[in-house]
Amino acid sequence: MSDESKTRILVLDDEPIVCKRLKPALEKAGFEVETFTRSAKAMERVAEQKFNIVITDLKMEGVDGIQFLTRVKEQSPATEVIVITGFATMDTAKESYQKGVFDFIAKPFKLAAILEVVKKAEQRVRAAQA
Amino acid sequence: MNILDRLKSAFKAWRKPRPNYPFAFLFRKFQGVLELNNAILERMAEMGAKLSGDYVFDKHYIEEATEHLGDLVQKLIYELNLLSDQKYIELYSAFQRIQTGIQREVAGERWVPDVPYILPLTAVNRDLSEETGAKSANLGEVKNAMGIAVADGFAITTRAFHDMLEHCKLAPAIDEVSRFIKEVGDDWTETNETRLDELTRQIRARLTAGWVPEPLTGALHRAVYDLTREARKDQLFFAVRSSATGEDSEYTFAGQHESLLNVPSEQLLEAYCQVVASAYTPGAWRYRVSKGFREQEMAMAVCCQVMVPARASGVLYTMDPIAPERDAVLVSAVWGLGGPLVAGAVQGDSYRVDRTAPHVVRTMKVVQKPRMLKVQPGGGVDWETVPEALQHRSCLSTLQLQELVRTALFIERYYKRAQDIEWAFDENARLLLLQTRPLKLPKELRRDLCRIADVVEAASVLISGKGTVVQRGIATGKVFVVRSDDDLLRFPHGAILVTAQTAPRLARVIRKAGGIITDMGSATGHMATVAREFRVPTVVDTGCATRVLHNGDEITLDATENVIYRGLVPELCYFEMSEEEVFEESLEYRLLRRILRMISPLNVLDRYSATFAPSGCRTIHDITRFVHEKAVEELIRLSTAQSRRRSTAAKRLVMGIPLGLLVIDIDGGTTATEGDRELRPEQMTSTPMRAFLEGLREPGLWGTEPVSVDFGSFMSSVTRTFSTASASPEEIGRNLAVVSREYMNLNLRLGYHFNIIDAYVVENINDNYAYFRFLGGVSEFTRRSRRARLIAEILEREGFRVEVRGDLVVGRIKKLNQEAMKTRMKLLGALVAYTRQLDVQLESDDQLSEFVEDFERRSAVLKPINLQERGRQP
Repeated sequence: MSDESKTRILVLDDEPIVCKRLKPALEKAGFEVETFTRSAKAMERVAEQKFNIVITDLKMEGVDGIQFLTRVKEQSPATEVIVITGFATMDTAKESYQKGVFDFIAKPFKLAAILEVVKKAEQRVRAAQA
Repeated sequence: MNILDRLKSAFKAWRKPRPNYPFAFLFRKFQGVLELNNAILERMAEMGAKLSGDYVFDKHYIEEATEHLGDLVQKLIYELNLLSDQKYIELYSAFQRIQTGIQREVAGERWVPDVPYILPLTAVNRDLSEETGAKSANLGEVKNAMGIAVADGFAITTRAFHDMLEHCKLAPAIDEVSRFIKEVGDDWTETNETRLDELTRQIRARLTAGWVPEPLTGALHRAVYDLTREARKDQLFFAVRSSATGEDSEYTFAGQHESLLNVPSEQLLEAYCQVVASAYTPGAWRYRVSKGFREQEMAMAVCCQVMVPARASGVLYTMDPIAPERDAVLVSAVWGLGGPLVAGAVQGDSYRVDRTAPHVVRTMKVVQKPRMLKVQPGGGVDWETVPEALQHRSCLSTLQLQELVRTALFIERYYKRAQDIEWAFDENARLLLLQTRPLKLPKELRRDLCRIADVVEAASVLISGKGTVVQRGIATGKVFVVRSDDDLLRFPHGAILVTAQTAPRLARVIRKAGGIITDMGSATGHMATVAREFRVPTVVDTGCATRVLHNGDEITLDATENVIYRGLVPELCYFEMSEEEVFEESLEYRLLRRILRMISPLNVLDRYSATFAPSGCRTIHDITRFVHEKAVEELIRLSTAQSRRRSTAAKRLVMGIPLGLLVIDIDGGTTATEGDRELRPEQMTSTPMRAFLEGLREPGLWGTEPVSVDFGSFMSSVTRTFSTASASPEEIGRNLAVVSREYMNLNLRLGYHFNIIDAYVVENINDNYAYFRFLGGVSEFTRRSRRARLIAEILEREGFRVEVRGDLVVGRIKKLNQEAMKTRMKLLGALVAYTRQLDVQLESDDQLSEFVEDFERRSAVLKPINLQERGRQP
């Protein structure tokens, strides 16, 4: 069932509703999507599977979003990371940009808005691959 | 010196009317009320918009938003009480009442104040599934929200169950069993089985021993009495079935709990106890444990329905769980009651029917049915021999099958889930729904759908991204273009309704329609409301539907992405139904919706009604509305009462148009003299107000012709406001302007719409600003009214920074030179005059631009040519 030509996306958010809503919307747009509500599980998964795009919340229990995205970037610098968070401060935004985050979206957001950002990120991923 | 200081110094010249608070202070409080009011309305509109399905939000958002809203309201009440000398202390308790409810919901406590022991099915819906169990909740929703026939009855709630447990002092025994099951783990030896049986038997014995809380007995008698009287019968018989929490939702609990049929009303209490006790059989208990339920979560509500003496009954799956791609509805049926069929004890007739209208019957397998289960006259059920002639006959006619399938698909569309339905046709061939629950589809289906993107890409697009989505969802079927009322009469079930214009008369075929597409029309009208109610996928205002789509065309409407495809793409339907969670059923959606019910409805509209009081405020919107009205009233009262001797008393502005406006001049805003009760426009010297009035009175903008509308009550409210004859200041107090030489603050209420304009205009460019706020009050505020958009568009054209949230429009402009500001004030006047009655005329977005053009033409005379706006005036 897995399709190599598809762009792979991992979504990490400890609020199940965010995963449940993003998954079908992204799948319908043609992406291969895996979602996680526990950062430890997501951490394990990125160690075994490369993702083109990672969408993560910043403030979660257990592993912090910043730690997670740092690890993702270490393991696969080509992965584009999109941060979604309800507690956006200038500091966290700055820190994530320094870590090479592709974009930063404040919760709550429109589905169309995140799809647009994901498509831009995909373009960059494709360009880098070419 | 900034604006505030200037105002302050202006107010200083004005002598303190009351020893405690100077008027300047009170006026600042009044402005504070307006600001808070605005902030609350914006927040409410923003929260409401989250329900549209466009946004992804989580529980943090709900917590944060409600907390913020609460803070604002608390401040609002405080400010009004300062202004009114603590006249409305009662508002605090009204607010506390609402706030407690909201906080409990947010904290996860289901808050149904005083859940009764018994709820009639007519009062039950999906939101009550914690209290009544999912079975009754689904039946209530189907009956009340969808209008589908369901046998009358009532739910005995979980509260009755909890009281019953307490009454029988069962907690220790239940704990003991829980501990025992935990200790045993997987080690179910015969000894352990026997032990469990013994332990649970004691619990069951206690429950069926007849120790029932007294109030429950009384409530049950009343419920039976009411139903018997309504049915005009001497005695009723009931189907008494378990409706435990968790049952019939994700887990079926199929066959775990007891159901009793045709119970005479006098034995209802015993039947209830028996069903409750069935939750404590070893089988049911271990089922719960295996599914991960905690024992504290278990609560057994019971559903009691008047027994249907069924002629034929059966089961229906809206999809084939083995082969969903066959696009068929599966039906099986037997004579008499359906129980044996459900239990697998007998074989019934089976049918395979097209999911797509006109629901052709593809296969039909009729078996011999020698026996049937029938209700017995004195109560209970028994086997009877099926008359020879019927044994080999199909239980259902084609017409009955189609009626059944249509009803089932209607329910499926509403829940956005394939359904597993139990049904019956009674002796009068009337279809009754007995039970509906989500049908489990195989996991493989979900996997196959990984290719959904390819399927979608391969489909040919007819229309994409045009118009406004009224209701998300997917519809497949044949186009039926409605051009006349005759077409409506001929509208076939399951067709996709295509028409030029939304209209209320379309509402009557909405239940039949698979989807709706229009060329023009409103996303806020009656038809749209009904479409949302039944969750019929609907897109309006595409501009081209009747041109592109023709009678009989097979199409797929994806109202989630707003695309219309050529041909049938059932995969989109399956995809939607296989989504892990239906947005409308998600915890967060339901939570926000429940909370918004305590926030947004407006109940206190009429200031003359007895409920227009703090005690009548049932929502946050009510409080804001009440506070605004009272704040305006207070300001008028203060100025009138404090300054009878002075020129500052409120005066009525007399002009050619009936606006009923009171003016308070705080410093050099008019040339009126002491003792005057009235004021003419020529006496207005306030720079912004004078300009505003000029625009307002411009001939050709204030339409004097009453608009003919079908919205009678709405218009009558407008005209009531305008009738100035014998109106005392108290009565027309809702329209108030506070002015000084360079400042104006205007509160205008036209019908149920509110306008606030606040402006300061002087030589110094940097001090100049104008603030305009419009709020439509009649239509549901989260929906965007065209009038709001028209106003927004005009304001934007004139250089205002505009925000639209639902029916709320806020426009701000600042730092233009004096002449340019005056022009804007004239335009604001013209805008108020022009748009005050437009709602009902604005039927489509196309018209919107026509009206913008029309306004530009009519108001052109107010604008000077080649004006330099930002710099110093030439």
